[in-house]
Amino acid sequence: MSALSGAWAVCVKDATEELRRKVAIVSVFFFAATAVTLVSFAMVGALALPPADRPPLQAALLWIILFFAAATGLPRAFVAEEESGTGLALRKTIPAVVVLAGKTLFNFLLFLAMAAVTIPGFLILLDWKAGSAGAVAATLLAGGFGLAVVSTFLSALVARAGQRHVLFVLIAFPLLLPLLQAAIAATIEAAAGAFPSAPLKVLVAYDGAAACGAYMLAGVAWED
Amino acid sequence: MVSSEQPVPTTIAAENLSKSFSGRPLFSDLSFSASQGLVAVAGRNGSGKTTLLKILAGLLRPSSGRVRFETEAGAPDSPSGRRLAIGWAGPDLQLYGTLTGVENLRFFRRAAGRAGDDRELEGRLEAVGLGEAARRRVEEYSTGMKQRLRIAFATLFDPPALLLDEPMAGLDVDGREIVRRVVAAARERGPVLLASNDERDFERPDRRVDLPGTGPRA
Repeated sequence: MSALSGAWAVCVKDATEELRRKVAIVSVFFFAATAVTLVSFAMVGALALPPADRPPLQAALLWIILFFAAATGLPRAFVAEEESGTGLALRKTIPAVVVLAGKTLFNFLLFLAMAAVTIPGFLILLDWKAGSAGAVAATLLAGGFGLAVVSTFLSALVARAGQRHVLFVLIAFPLLLPLLQAAIAATIEAAAGAFPSAPLKVLVAYDGAAACGAYMLAGVAWED
Repeated sequence: MVSSEQPVPTTIAAENLSKSFSGRPLFSDLSFSASQGLVAVAGRNGSGKTTLLKILAGLLRPSSGRVRFETEAGAPDSPSGRRLAIGWAGPDLQLYGTLTGVENLRFFRRAAGRAGDDRELEGRLEAVGLGEAARRRVEEYSTGMKQRLRIAFATLFDPPALLLDEPMAGLDVDGREIVRRVVAAARERGPVLLASNDERDFERPDRRVDLPGTGPRA
């Protein structure tokens, strides 16, 4: 129970800091809003495509935007602690796995907030049809959780490295490819009104494996 | 007011500690033990005082050797066991600038799974002379105020052992007196290791650790 309350305290602390400093929130939301707007301009021709041909393109674009918007904000989880010098105080008092859980939770909530901004933009500007709202929500929850777990863990791993931002993207891209592939497949099926059970199973399995790996390796990644 | 609590005998010991950075040895085969009282950790700049205290606090791994930490309550001999039982403050320690002093203490208490009552925490800040600044953001603090907050952080969990690295740095006369009081109270309970470049910071030390090849200049 104390580990859960500790993780919640870390999440609340990150949210309080972020709401006062507004570094990650502004960059993530600005990127998402700009990307959706620019894509909608570029997609004018594509909207002439038959409706049946649009979902794969729209699903891919949605997850490209979500991935890169997340990549601008989520890595800050641990990197910001090292850059501000507060990492020592955290390592001194709080177990790595508690810090990781709290920061993952904050990143997951940040992803959901970012999706809440991006999805309406897609529905309006790109004439996207979310056939099954429940299935889209399930896909976003499962995909967002995996994205938050992997991004937060990698943030801990690269926080004290030189060239940490480049390193993050280089490691994150291959690790997140299976997640993005399954998320795009699930989004295509959800947009068609079906329940994407096969890709969702892949996403849930990926999330479980990523969470277990992060839990076991938290100390290695964050402590000396 | 007379305290009914009995002092808990606590021992922190370095056993054949060595530390190298990029192959360059900082110190090697260092052994000592401290159970109660003030231990003066002395040495010139770059002799490894800060690194030694970080190793004892569980923040760095030694290249070889080990740290033994025991309390009567039987704290486990592991980094997680030492986490809250050893208080530490040093020049590298930074707290959250966007949070207030009391928010910082409350966060660390709650994240460590302990109660974080604001009135009790404000009392701790009052004790280090930050009572008026308890509700101000740390980014507005002066250098000396931040140092006082580090002292409050080091004693936040009432640890049986205390490691203070240059605790007088940036402090005024009142601040130095506060640190002396903290050290005087802590050395009665258990070991206090105080690292400094200034011999005046060591008030009647019970023993010294002079890092190899250094020691006080004549």
